[in-house]
Amino acid sequence: MRRLAIAMLALSCAACATMTPPKPWEKGDLARPSMTIGSDPLGDRGNAHVYESKEMTGGGGSVGGGGCGCN
Amino acid sequence: MAAIDGEVAAAQPCDAATRRSCEFARDGARLNPFLTAALLLPGVVPAAALAQSMPDQGLFSLQYLDYRDWQPGAARMTVRNPSLYVMTPFAERYTFEGSLVYDAMSGASPLWFDTLSGASGLGVTDYRTAGDAKVTRYFDRYSIGAGVAYSHERDFISRAGSLDARWWTADKNTTLAFGFAGESDYIHPSARELDNGRRHSLDFLVGITQNLSPVDIVQSNLTYATGHGYYSDPYKTLDQRPGERRVLAWQTRYNHHFTVADATLQLGYRFLADSFGGDSHTFDVAWAQALPQGFTLTPSVRYYTQGAADFWFGPPFPQGFVNGQDYTADTRLSAFGAWTAGLRLTRTFADGWRVELSGDFYRQRGDWRIFGGGSEGLLPFSARWFAASVSKTF
Repeated sequence: MRRLAIAMLALSCAACATMTPPKPWEKGDLARPSMTIGSDPLGDRGNAHVYESKEMTGGGGSVGGGGCGCN
Repeated sequence: MAAIDGEVAAAQPCDAATRRSCEFARDGARLNPFLTAALLLPGVVPAAALAQSMPDQGLFSLQYLDYRDWQPGAARMTVRNPSLYVMTPFAERYTFEGSLVYDAMSGASPLWFDTLSGASGLGVTDYRTAGDAKVTRYFDRYSIGAGVAYSHERDFISRAGSLDARWWTADKNTTLAFGFAGESDYIHPSARELDNGRRHSLDFLVGITQNLSPVDIVQSNLTYATGHGYYSDPYKTLDQRPGERRVLAWQTRYNHHFTVADATLQLGYRFLADSFGGDSHTFDVAWAQALPQGFTLTPSVRYYTQGAADFWFGPPFPQGFVNGQDYTADTRLSAFGAWTAGLRLTRTFADGWRVELSGDFYRQRGDWRIFGGGSEGLLPFSARWFAASVSKTF
């Protein structure tokens, strides 16, 4: 099972290396609510609450950030 | 945690075939179960999901969630959950975040191997009230936040405090996040007294958010939690779990916007390793499609798979029990796979109001597990939850 996690990590790093970060004037799409990771605090918490009461473990997802530097 | 209430309807005894339903009926009432530690508490780890620099708007959000679960021919649990969230900037360089949540749970609880109702057939009701508050100070290239959280049930009290720091590059395309939290939980079950019903844990977090391109963003978090104390379930007969627990989780989320289709693809993956045993994988995919008149429709699918805890034993109860050794029959610690299908409709208004309706359907089966065999002898488990929310930026 842990090989899959390592493969996913490698895939993520490869994706990061092949793209060019946006200029300040190119962040319009990144500012969309659908592009903002964790833009729905109550909805995310509600779902996490349900899953953590029905499955063995939870966590790992809560962190600040997720913004695009659009402010 | 849970407490008995004679007003709730009784249900049939919990035999091997319906054990999963029986446990879930009761566990559903326990939306802050022992297993989840305090990672679940809002504010324990940095929870804000706002832009990394100082927000220029506040946010007010109100949500009502209605949850039910069932199994063929078995009891049901209902949970009603209103919650409130507020974030507001103040004094030019600060933000305040706070939330309040209330859970009201009810349902039948046939607890064949429980010490709560046993053969009395009494059901379960419980409530949970929780709140958190956090203040963040913003500087030019970094921010520091401090938060507290409190959760109270009839037989469970949790207190937590957290610190977090975020640093971002000059172009604001990369943000690093570091978090630390400490929790102290006190368990005092209604059925009996514990010699030491306390548990303490520490959480550590490091994460990165990266704008990959004008239409790609990725976030990756690594969290480590370590705790010691009382992890057993006092309502389960013979339940004896290790007194220490360590959980390592890695979660990555990636969003891509398709300009032509005016839609966003949202992907997520989480790997979690638990010292109890039973590593898990979670895969999420969603498609947020913009529609005319300010509507957005978002279908989503989630798949989850976990192995069984090292000390989990399946039916017939109490197969595998040896006095003095760790043992549990809690089906949440069994090996299974689960699918969730969800649909969310959002309407955004020009003056900052936003209304959202969502529904999710969840189903769990032993034979849906991948990366190994699932636990046998347990019936499928199903749940659904609906949520309605309204929010306003100001």
